[in-house]
Amino acid sequence: MDRRSFIKLTAVSGTTAALASCGNPDHQLVRFVPDEDIVPGQAVWKPGVCPLCPAGCGLTVRVMDADAEVVRDGKSGVVQILAAKKLEGNPNHPINRGGLCARGQAAIQVTYHPDRITQPLKRTGNRGDGTYAAVTWDAAIAEAVGSLNKLASGGNARSLAFLGRPDNGHRRALIAEFLARFGAPAAVTYELFADDVLRRANGMSFGSAQLPTFDLANTRYLLSFGADFLGTWNAPVSHARAYGEMRQGQPGVRGHFVQIESRVSQTGASADEWVAIRPGTEGALALGIAHVIMRDKLQSAGAAAGAAIPGWSQGLPDYAPEQVEKLTGVSAAKVERLAREFAQRSPAAAAVGGAALAHTNALFTAVAVNALNALAGTVGKPGGLVFTPQMDVGAAAKIGARPSAAMSMQQWAAALLAGGEPAAQALLIDGVNPVFTAPRAWKVRDALARVPFIVSFGSFLDETSILADLILPDHSFLESWSESLPESGSAAGVVSAAPPVMKPLHQTRATPDVLLEVARQLEKPLELPWQTFDEMLAMTMTPLPAMTEGVDAWTDAQEKGGWWGELPTAIRLKPDSTAIRLKPDSTVESGFSRIQPESGFGRIQPEFDGDPAQYPFHFLPYPSNQFLDGSLAHLPWLQEMPDPLTSAMWSSWIEINPQTAARLGIVQGDLVEVTSQHGTLRSAAYVSPGIAPDVIAMPAGQGHATFTRYASGRGENPVGLLAPMTEETTGAVAWAATRVKIARVGGPDGRLILFAGGMREHVEHGR
Amino acid sequence: MRSALVVSALILAGSLGCRMFDPAPRPSASVPPALPGQSTGVFTTARATFGEAVEDFIGRHPRKPEQPVEFPHVVHAGKGIGCTEYCHESVTTGPVAGLPSVRTCMVCHNTIATDRQRIRQITAMRERGEDFVWRRVFDYTPEAHVRFNHAPHIRAKVDCATCHGPIAQGTVAERNVDMNMGFCVNCHNERKASIDCLTCHF
Repeated sequence: MDRRSFIKLTAVSGTTAALASCGNPDHQLVRFVPDEDIVPGQAVWKPGVCPLCPAGCGLTVRVMDADAEVVRDGKSGVVQILAAKKLEGNPNHPINRGGLCARGQAAIQVTYHPDRITQPLKRTGNRGDGTYAAVTWDAAIAEAVGSLNKLASGGNARSLAFLGRPDNGHRRALIAEFLARFGAPAAVTYELFADDVLRRANGMSFGSAQLPTFDLANTRYLLSFGADFLGTWNAPVSHARAYGEMRQGQPGVRGHFVQIESRVSQTGASADEWVAIRPGTEGALALGIAHVIMRDKLQSAGAAAGAAIPGWSQGLPDYAPEQVEKLTGVSAAKVERLAREFAQRSPAAAAVGGAALAHTNALFTAVAVNALNALAGTVGKPGGLVFTPQMDVGAAAKIGARPSAAMSMQQWAAALLAGGEPAAQALLIDGVNPVFTAPRAWKVRDALARVPFIVSFGSFLDETSILADLILPDHSFLESWSESLPESGSAAGVVSAAPPVMKPLHQTRATPDVLLEVARQLEKPLELPWQTFDEMLAMTMTPLPAMTEGVDAWTDAQEKGGWWGELPTAIRLKPDSTAIRLKPDSTVESGFSRIQPESGFGRIQPEFDGDPAQYPFHFLPYPSNQFLDGSLAHLPWLQEMPDPLTSAMWSSWIEINPQTAARLGIVQGDLVEVTSQHGTLRSAAYVSPGIAPDVIAMPAGQGHATFTRYASGRGENPVGLLAPMTEETTGAVAWAATRVKIARVGGPDGRLILFAGGMREHVEHGR
Repeated sequence: MRSALVVSALILAGSLGCRMFDPAPRPSASVPPALPGQSTGVFTTARATFGEAVEDFIGRHPRKPEQPVEFPHVVHAGKGIGCTEYCHESVTTGPVAGLPSVRTCMVCHNTIATDRQRIRQITAMRERGEDFVWRRVFDYTPEAHVRFNHAPHIRAKVDCATCHGPIAQGTVAERNVDMNMGFCVNCHNERKASIDCLTCHF
């Protein structure tokens, strides 16, 4: 367009605008009178707690005046409110110290999501078709109370079931107490990428059944067996900060980092060395390293360190480097070198997590790596792993211990389908979506179909909550009292807690308060010791030692976003007394003789589903950097955030090694079909040099059928291919134990959306 | 010829502006229908109408926009009520002066002059729980990249009328002063305030 026609167009559009009589004020939304005193233009920063993962990072929330669309007395309109506008890391919080990951930054969108459920809903159509009618809170609570009364009066209290997420905070303790007083079994918890195996192994090895914290700032040599500690595993913000210290904190000192995994993760991409290993054999490599250390007497550790491992006291004769090479695919020379480096560059630590513990022999792998840590002599010392002291909420809230979990999700679904006891008559669901994340062979959806009455506390309609008969939407974390008990990421005890930062936008209610209300309204009231959730928080936190002179801990915590310091022993979780203890200096072995390797570890060799001849590839679904297991796929900022390694966004993809791709005639973006014995899916190929030739990887999180306008019908869910393989001692899903075959079915069809042109090294090598 | 086509297309677009920005989006097939109580609107930074967008684009704002009530500034100032006392009170604490809500008016008008037509109008709004939709009188275009903060100017004892003109002598607020950069810099020079670019453009 030349200059002259541009001027003409500007003139014409100006005239058009003058003629357009669209701006009729009558068509504007009603503006309501605000209920709070607001200073416009001035920001206040208030503390908060990030709800998106169990790490429990502290937030500081920028709160300012804003216009919110609300419904008042049936009229929709706009009102000025004090609204949260930006989340940052709380600089004083010991877990994240001012840092916040990209997922945490996007958490603000939970509150303002256009598809949030804004009021109680009652199902009107068929189950699963998503038609609901609005009901009042009084009616909704009356319905829930009525159905629980019927169970209690009929002597069927045991047929109330609760599905939730595994964590150990106040909310779970309140739920556990509610269920115990009602007479119902403990809540069934489920998470696909859970760390149950590692907790159990740490309980066995160190007496602390919880995730470890690595003092990376002082580590000089770090071996990580599949642990994505900078991306999605454990407390990533805490570990990323400490990792920065390890690499650049002291002039002239740079800790060395080796990542051992079959596919390079975001963490692996930061490592000095990537060791590709055969899936499921990480434990063998750890023992190979231990063998060399003991053979060459590189460390003066006692024999007790790996007492539960067969052959440990004889110096692990079965794990000579040559044998380890056969098992793991890592060359004997490399095993020798890693062992020498690990022993000589002290303090050294070994981390294990993620895909390494997603096998049927995961407990063996975890205990083997723990033994390596004990051999390095850094457990509980600078540069090694430590355990964050944890609050015992049961003791602090004076309700005593309640069983944490009765059954696994798999057992619960199986029992329900088999018609056995207890046949759930009513089900409460809080924050978990097993229909999406559980292996299809568990038939969770079919099991849920058998429950006559389902209540969901969800804020969004997902694959599980769409089956609910009644939805009692929770506040967002910014609108309610939020809390978390971080399991790792700090050497001192931490309780993250914060008051609401803003008034609720919608007709929602905090789930703990709804449960307390239901408990009061029952025919036989449960007499829980608190009227509101913040009373419970005040009860557990007021007796804590003061952080500031002259201010009680609870008042202080509300201002600071939590409490941190020395936890009084009376309310600290006791170490697991059934554990075997690894004392590096102890040489006494007799105390551990009761632990039989076979019963203690489950399996030593990994097992895989599928015949290798027919299904030649290992299938590795991995937690997405954006969505974790898929519970965050509804946040559009995360959808549009490019994956750090592939730069892919708004889509799913299948990672294939370049050699494998060339052999199968697959190029970048081609539509490929992946088939296991349990399912099949089609997605775009991403050719990546960071993956072993016999492994096919795929991020979890996409492929939702129902999960808001941003995630529904987008990409594919790798969980659909998973075999129902588990680690037998914990029942944890062995999500990397499925074998698959792949085939090219078509050319690129535009479903792979890359932000950048792909991996530059790869392009340049091929030039 | 081609430019004529473009021009007529533009005129057509302008006249259809209202319809094209229909706030109700058409949901795609895979997205479940909205639940009761959910907003069906899609957030957009675009202007509500084509007309507004063009006016904004060419920087045209009315000098005396139509307001929800014809507030007589002169009457209130005449009674000795200062600008910052009740109505624009956040001017001393924050960047924005603040505009009164219905609640603010009713602090006094619950009892004063309740029989006047305008006051009855405001009382009715309160009963409906509704508030004013004030229209902006003074503003900078976004491309000026100016961030103005009232509070330091009040602390420096700059009279409101210096920048806002004789609003206190009029009824409905009117833009009588052309606040261009020269206007600001002159005053900053006179009062020896900083004229560093970053004082205002940040």
